[in-house]
Amino acid sequence: MLCRGARSVPSPRLLAIFELLSQRERSAPHSGVLCAVAAQVTEQSGASIALLSRDDQLTSMCASNDLAASLIDMEIAAGEGPCTDACGSDGAVVESDLDRSRSPRWLGYAPRALSLGVRAVFAFPVRIGAVRLGAMALHRDVEGAMTDVQAANAYLMAAVIARAVLALQARAVSGSLATDLEREASFDFLVHQAAGMVAVQGSMTLGDALVTLRSHAYALTANLTDTAGRVVARELWYEPTGAVWRNAYGRTE
Amino acid sequence: MAREQLLIATLVELADSLVDNFDVIDVLTLLSDRCAEAIDVDAAGVMLSSPSGELQFIASSSESMRVLELFQLQSDEGPCVDCFRDGRAIVNHALAEPDDRWPRFTPLALAQGYKSVHCLPMRLRGRTIGALNLFRMVQGSLDDSDVIVAQGLADVATIAILQHRTSLDAQTLNGQLSIALHSRIIIEQAKGMVSQTTSTDMDGAFARLRTHARNHNEGLTNVARRVVDREIAVEDLDHTPEPKIRR
Repeated sequence: MLCRGARSVPSPRLLAIFELLSQRERSAPHSGVLCAVAAQVTEQSGASIALLSRDDQLTSMCASNDLAASLIDMEIAAGEGPCTDACGSDGAVVESDLDRSRSPRWLGYAPRALSLGVRAVFAFPVRIGAVRLGAMALHRDVEGAMTDVQAANAYLMAAVIARAVLALQARAVSGSLATDLEREASFDFLVHQAAGMVAVQGSMTLGDALVTLRSHAYALTANLTDTAGRVVARELWYEPTGAVWRNAYGRTE
Repeated sequence: MAREQLLIATLVELADSLVDNFDVIDVLTLLSDRCAEAIDVDAAGVMLSSPSGELQFIASSSESMRVLELFQLQSDEGPCVDCFRDGRAIVNHALAEPDDRWPRFTPLALAQGYKSVHCLPMRLRGRTIGALNLFRMVQGSLDDSDVIVAQGLADVATIAILQHRTSLDAQTLNGQLSIALHSRIIIEQAKGMVSQTTSTDMDGAFARLRTHARNHNEGLTNVARRVVDREIAVEDLDHTPEPKIRR
């Protein structure tokens, strides 16, 4: 058996995020919960999530309030801004004072953001290894950097969002996103290895392979790590013709 | 190769990585490999702290799942967690002696044949960023010079990871560590693709990625990313030479 019993438990900080997600899901069950929790744990004025489409266009997924929604819509229209930059980078994009920036990097975005009442913006890439899904944007109505704790929570929240996006794309959310994410809080390396194998088996992108693997685990009501373990052990593989999964007994499942 | 020569060669290799084409996973795999060779341990591995404050496996001298299992478990409990938390070395901890310090880790390590475990903190300027873990299958303790050698290598690797940073604030450190973790994931994704295409196991897939990176003087993560993005066909990756006979 692979890694059974060796799975790590979520950190207290991660558990706190899941708890907030589930509280918000109970009161208002819609996709905006991710953004609401992102703004809350990072203590910013607002948060939004923008996802990359197949042709690398940004589309907004959710926003925690009207201002956050206007800001991300404006960024997408302007074609420049923190999310746009974060999508193409490995690290966070930080602009802690839009007004006093010595060399404004976003000539179109910055003045419009300021006119909306935004003073500081931050964006974190939302990704899983080589799979770039989009970015999480945060803004504040006063200038200033994030504290260490706020920034650590932002990195963590971006990782939670990546897994949530994957689960939503695989339509693998069984009622509560929070419960679903908590169950698979950390991806074992097996999941990433299996995704690489499925990408070759199905001649698909790694992002699609992750989604395909995730949906199959959901369809089987099996754990993602266990399903991935079967792929790595070559007991389960994906057949692109007919889009079926076949197991070691030659049966489809 | 005598130990002193091996150490000098390792320091040169690590120093070389400081110049350009720096790849954190590559440097830490090199650190693990050289520890396993220079100080007679059976497995060595590195865990780094993630932004959520927990440890995550980054590199080891063996890619076998049995060893990885031990590292993954240690994000929860084990010598690495304790060493990281206290910033202090744990040396010559005999697993077989009755002890309830790590109830999940110890039985698993024993079942996999390990008799003793050692863990050294990776520290720079008062901050612990991770830990180097050493496992031995034979009874008997590491002597002081072994510990000094391993700690020295861990220190050089720590400097390598944080090289570009003049200030070590928590946010830049979190950024660096987040990039390291994603690098590791990209490598796992590429390993899966290589393993499927060439019908090799994950160890073989990793070795092939690493060989190609070495031969072309390219970062390991970059090679992995290009495989995942299908800029390099798996078939075009350089083949791994026959393994050297271990002394």
